[in-house]
Amino acid sequence: DSHIQYERVGADVTMKCGSMDWDAAVTWTANGTDIDESHLNGSYLILKNVDLTQSGQYSCYEGSSWHLKYQTYLRVGMPPKEPVLMCRSNNYPKGFYCSWHLSAPTYIPNSFNISVIHVTREMVCEKDVFPKNRCHIRYLQLFSTVKYKVTLTVTNALGKNSTTVTFDEFAIVKPDPPESVVAKPVPNNPRRLEVSWQNPSSWPDPESFPLKFFLRYRPLILDQWQHVELSDGTSHTITDAYAGKEYIIQVAAKDNDIGTWSDWSVAVHATPWTEEPKHLTTEAQVTETTSASTSSFMPPPTTKICDKGAVVGSGAVAVCWTAGLVLAAYGVLFI
Amino acid sequence: MAAADSPSAALRRRDLCSRGIRLAGKMRSDVVDLLDTYVERQGLDASASVAAVEGVPVAAAERWDEQTGTQRLLENLAAYRAFRALLAQMLEEQREQLGEADAALGRALAAVLLQVSAFTYHLEELLRLESRGPPSEEGAGPPPLPHLGLFERKLRGLGVLRELAQWAVRSARDLRQLAKPGPGSGSAPSLAESP
Repeated sequence: DSHIQYERVGADVTMKCGSMDWDAAVTWTANGTDIDESHLNGSYLILKNVDLTQSGQYSCYEGSSWHLKYQTYLRVGMPPKEPVLMCRSNNYPKGFYCSWHLSAPTYIPNSFNISVIHVTREMVCEKDVFPKNRCHIRYLQLFSTVKYKVTLTVTNALGKNSTTVTFDEFAIVKPDPPESVVAKPVPNNPRRLEVSWQNPSSWPDPESFPLKFFLRYRPLILDQWQHVELSDGTSHTITDAYAGKEYIIQVAAKDNDIGTWSDWSVAVHATPWTEEPKHLTTEAQVTETTSASTSSFMPPPTTKICDKGAVVGSGAVAVCWTAGLVLAAYGVLFI
Repeated sequence: MAAADSPSAALRRRDLCSRGIRLAGKMRSDVVDLLDTYVERQGLDASASVAAVEGVPVAAAERWDEQTGTQRLLENLAAYRAFRALLAQMLEEQREQLGEADAALGRALAAVLLQVSAFTYHLEELLRLESRGPPSEEGAGPPPLPHLGLFERKLRGLGVLRELAQWAVRSARDLRQLAKPGPGSGSAPSLAESP
């Protein structure tokens, strides 16, 4: 008869040829290939310090008749290490999801069991079809100060391990990034870019649970981002872009009151409007080119200098600069 | 008094809701700061679990999305009236315990108490607009405290402030629901809908 046998990497494995006596004459094969007699102790197959490459089908045949006497599928693997578990609500106030993964592969099948406790109640975590390592929970209560306790246990044939996370309802709220970010030049305005976006579609009720947004932008040629926090609306006009330079722009979202910022949206690129170049004579073109270079890269107006990282405004818009940006802007001009 | 559904009443409701949302936001921010000060001055562990205490209104709500506007207002009003009395009690205990030794904590408590009082009045105004009028404050005040030791009183205070911080978030949500046009003012997606 055939069955599956799980063994740990590094273990010594002894396989018996079914009910055959120790001194019976037998032949063992691994995936159809004869195994050398040096691995046999009588009719027993001895595999020392097994590794992953030794996984496969092992068969034992009676010496003279070649009758199949025993067959097993050896799976070499590892017991599970402590899994990594995270929970997040991207659809507040409907519910939250938990997802997990193993920090190292086990090479054998694993099963996962998750328990979610709130107050004294065990809540149902409905497993997602895809991805498989995720389940979602519907909130039965809102605004609770009692923490949620989620325990994930991973089990395989060689052992089990578990991890527990506890969190507040508010702490795990993190929306998905804003969608459909669009940035366009503004006609006849060489320093402006109009940016618009939409609430993430997974956020169920932006009217009752409004989001605020964080926009960052920089010219491709510079590394330093500029940041703007917006407490309402899904559009913003950048008014201090460098004329003629291509910009990269991203937006993030956060519930107005609780939780953390989303990841940054997909980046969009845009270049402010520039005037059409006039037709000139050769001599005039040289002069024009030189003067156009010096005038198109005008430094932005001086604004408040603030510390790196102090990017969150209050109420309306806050813009941060670093002094080096101005100097870098002039430096780039002459590269 | 204008009818509850007249245009002027609707405008007044939206105005009161907008101001109430801002009040709740400021209140929450100040309560969170007060929590940090309270934990530090009272020598508590910020992550300490505090069991539900009798008389402290619990913000947690089941089927929150199904509540009517009037239910929201009544629950909020009952809560903030209770918090007003609880904070007054905490302030008195703090003054008795520490005297003038910790004026900063006392000032912070007093400031939050003032905001809670203002918010309570705000809720009463909204209820008057609903042609209901606020219920009378019968049996006002927190239940008389059993004789609690100093540490138990500190933990109770921690529980009061934590629950108040939750309420401030809930109140902003409640008022947004109330500000929505349409009857009932509470048509958020049901929690029972599949995600």
